[in-house]
Amino acid sequence: MSTEVKSPIPGKIVEILVNVGDQVAEDEEIIVMEAMKMKNPVYSTAAGSVQEIKVKEGEEVNEDQVLVVLG
Amino acid sequence: MEDAIIKGLLGLTVGFQHLLIDWRNVIMILVGGVLIWLGIKKDCEPLLLLPIGFGCILVNIPLSEVMMKDGFIRIIYDAGIDTELFPLLIFIGIGAMTDFGPVLARPSTFLLGAAGQFGIFLTLLLALALGFPKLEAISIGIIGACDGPTAIYVTSKFAPQILGAVSVAAYSYMALVPVIQPPIMKLLTTKKERETIMEYKAKPVSKTTKLLFPLVITVIGGLIAPKGLPLLGTIMLGNFMRESGVVERLTKASENEIANVVTLFLGLCIGCTMVGPAFIKAQTLIILALGFLAICLDTVCGVCFGKIMRVVTGGKINPLIGAAGISAFPMAARVVQKEGLKYNKRNYLLMHAMGANAGGQIGSVIAAAIMLAILAGMGVI
Amino acid sequence: MQMDNFTFGITMLLCGMGGTLVTLWIMSLIMEALGRLFPYKPEEKKEK
Repeated sequence: MSTEVKSPIPGKIVEILVNVGDQVAEDEEIIVMEAMKMKNPVYSTAAGSVQEIKVKEGEEVNEDQVLVVLG
Repeated sequence: MEDAIIKGLLGLTVGFQHLLIDWRNVIMILVGGVLIWLGIKKDCEPLLLLPIGFGCILVNIPLSEVMMKDGFIRIIYDAGIDTELFPLLIFIGIGAMTDFGPVLARPSTFLLGAAGQFGIFLTLLLALALGFPKLEAISIGIIGACDGPTAIYVTSKFAPQILGAVSVAAYSYMALVPVIQPPIMKLLTTKKERETIMEYKAKPVSKTTKLLFPLVITVIGGLIAPKGLPLLGTIMLGNFMRESGVVERLTKASENEIANVVTLFLGLCIGCTMVGPAFIKAQTLIILALGFLAICLDTVCGVCFGKIMRVVTGGKINPLIGAAGISAFPMAARVVQKEGLKYNKRNYLLMHAMGANAGGQIGSVIAAAIMLAILAGMGVI
Repeated sequence: MQMDNFTFGITMLLCGMGGTLVTLWIMSLIMEALGRLFPYKPEEKKEK
């Protein structure tokens, strides 16, 4: 079963802290995004391995956009 | 001949002699140094603290004529602070910088911007109880607007003698918002309240709305509180230029060049109001303490109002965003975001807090305007 | 006109807090109305 981690707010992806295949725990910081000139961590919503990363660093995203797929 | 040379040389030591006579100048030169140090080393509002600190040093060198008649800072002071011009010019810049989109998308957060101003009035009451004269009490209360230009505007109008203390308090506490607010926010809310998730759904706002907003607010606000129209009018002018999108050069100039130049002059002038003998008084300490209290009370009222809104909306509002209802933009909103995330890792309050924060900016201006209108109505001014 | 500090303080407190709240409330109503009168149309270009 896969889980999607969605962007909580509109902003820009600053840093992606995981690679495809990595194991992540729940509530682990996986992405740093910038909104309103402030850096915000995005946490994983479940434990699992990273299946797919759907964004690139520097990309502008909207809220609810899928960032990472966990499985 | 020898006599003349000795007298001439003695002339060079007059400054030192005066410094020994009045120790308060020495203290203030040190205070100026501390302000500069805070700005440089602690990165605490350097744009303001640097000129303030330097101004403070300038004016406390004995026999310095910078604030005497025709002294160079006196000229700037008379032109910009005495006339209330500088804070208004800053406001055009603030208006040009602020995006009222988040508030327009969710107008109810605007009300939090009102609750965040209640500290002004509570502190005013306290200052009166401590025996401050009416107009000074008002200027002390206005520190609770958490808004430098508003505080300077009101104080230079009614109680210029305490301008130094009030503006130093206003600016330094604004910088301290990230330290002052979190404990109060934690104390006043339950764990469950703090963990309330507020989903953010971008609700796009039409350009017409964004354009009409500053115009309508200016007219309505001006009708309610004409005395405060300069404050409201300038912030809305800046915002109108921003949203119109056709005068980019003017918008850029307001938020960069004009704001920068004025900030420099403003800081210098404020620093120069901190003359040792007039500044080192028990009264200054009381003003600083009351100002601190004002910002704490703002936070308390904001969070409590957030709790009321939570009840009214059936638990949809996280009361933490109430703390963002003050004017310190965007510090307060960032504090709320950070705190919210600390208690629940799925909770991104940033956009809601930005709404409350923008509401707080208008709120502080409105509160000041209302205050002036009431004062005029009562015949005090 | 002179009045004692207590009356003055209480008046400021009540009128000030009430006035601020009511004014902002009116403004939020106006914003709500503006939002309804001129709803966002998707074809509108996103300005930035």
